[in-house]
Amino acid sequence: MGRFFTFVGVVSSFGLKALVDAFRPPIEWEFFLFQIEEIGWRSLPLILAAGFALGVVLSMHTRVTLLQFGAEALIPSLQSAAFFNELGPLITALLVAGRVGAGIGAGIANMRVTEQIDAIESLSIDSFKLLVVTRIVACILILPMLTLFMDFASLAGGFLAESFASHISLQLYVDRAFKTLEWANFIPPTLKTSVFGFIIGTVSGYFGYTTDEGSAGVQRAATNSVVLSSLLIILADVVLVKAIFFLFPRNAI
Amino acid sequence: MSDPAAVEFDHVSKTFGNRKVLDDVSFKISEGEALCIMGRSGTGKSTSLRMMIGLLKPDSGRVRIGSEDIVHSSEEDLSRVRRHMGFLFQSAALLDSFTLGDNLALPLRRLDKSKSPSEIKRAVDETLERVGLDLDIAKMPSELSGGMRKRAGLARALVLHPKLLLVDEPSSGLDRITASEIDDLLLKVKKEYCATLVIVTHDVRGARKVGDRIAVLDQGRLIGLGTATELDKSDQEIVRRLVSES
Repeated sequence: MGRFFTFVGVVSSFGLKALVDAFRPPIEWEFFLFQIEEIGWRSLPLILAAGFALGVVLSMHTRVTLLQFGAEALIPSLQSAAFFNELGPLITALLVAGRVGAGIGAGIANMRVTEQIDAIESLSIDSFKLLVVTRIVACILILPMLTLFMDFASLAGGFLAESFASHISLQLYVDRAFKTLEWANFIPPTLKTSVFGFIIGTVSGYFGYTTDEGSAGVQRAATNSVVLSSLLIILADVVLVKAIFFLFPRNAI
Repeated sequence: MSDPAAVEFDHVSKTFGNRKVLDDVSFKISEGEALCIMGRSGTGKSTSLRMMIGLLKPDSGRVRIGSEDIVHSSEEDLSRVRRHMGFLFQSAALLDSFTLGDNLALPLRRLDKSKSPSEIKRAVDETLERVGLDLDIAKMPSELSGGMRKRAGLARALVLHPKLLLVDEPSSGLDRITASEIDDLLLKVKKEYCATLVIVTHDVRGARKVGDRIAVLDQGRLIGLGTATELDKSDQEIVRRLVSES
């Protein structure tokens, strides 16, 4: 347990250094935009497909239960509440941790063992800023956007399932989905994914950047990036949900 | 007062774990000189090279590049010194997500803000032409052969016109003809750029061809330093064997 908290401390200081460096010129715009494409754009198909499928599945499951109480009209609002509040942010973060976290960890570790990071340093370029900071900032900014895509894809999936089951119109589905949803249910949970993005970028960047064990180190960096990012995301979610309930008490009702 | 040496090792020692890789090593390299560092594997040759560019710090002693003590200098000062240095890594270490052209353009874009995109492109083209890779500018590193990768790494090291060029195992993994071509390129660089060269190598032919002097390291200690002819007459057998062509 002590080792875990030591690790969290070391990784946190690694991440904080990255945040400070993000505002120190020169700003690496070119590499940052490249990472936005790599992390955001290339994750989009996975997020949309997963969101849509989960929307269909959740709708089918809730229909069975709610039908027993004659409350199937609540399916759209239940679906939107579940996804906008919790499922969308958490599942998006876990999917990105799997796809992007492994890629960041293995990619940077591979650059370390093939001397590419040394080569960058030898060219008087700050490799930490170029490789780690750009990825962490891209993760922080892209996670909320991907979460929105996940949320809306799940509603699309939910609507499809409902329209097959009850022939509900799109307008009625949307009305019911957003009737009980408030900004407080939507903005804080979406923005909390920036913290998840910070965790993914920092943990993966740390394992990749600090590896020194050859090809075995690359494999370990990829695995550790996914496992520890996912674990820390779930733990952070507990704290963040509590914080959101504290700041927006109506969300807790 | 005489000009400072291009590179100076002053009682440098370095230990990794329990293993002493460099043990009180001292030598100077004059400006415009080509020094080849030879020795058996694991005797601190590449470590010495990495210390010269500040990728590693010695446990004790000083490393001076020109008049700058890079062991105790700040990151900014080290970065300034590195701008006048080029490093050809053993694996070439090209950035594998960039094309060859972008690999060369990166340091120009980052370090020479005065250059316009067209000037950068011209500089990249000229440097690639110099190493015979001008037709491969759009290729990715994975599409290049071992010899081409070495030449590409050399081109990247040369693109900023370094005063000091550090070369790690230029002929490793190459056939004799390609290795000889790389040696010819290094000689050309030395002549055209008036650069100081430090080359770590196991290739005796290359060392005798390119090096003005040869340094021999064994078990972390400098056991021989001189011209190839001088070292042929060394009283230490290991030195004679390492620099012997036969």
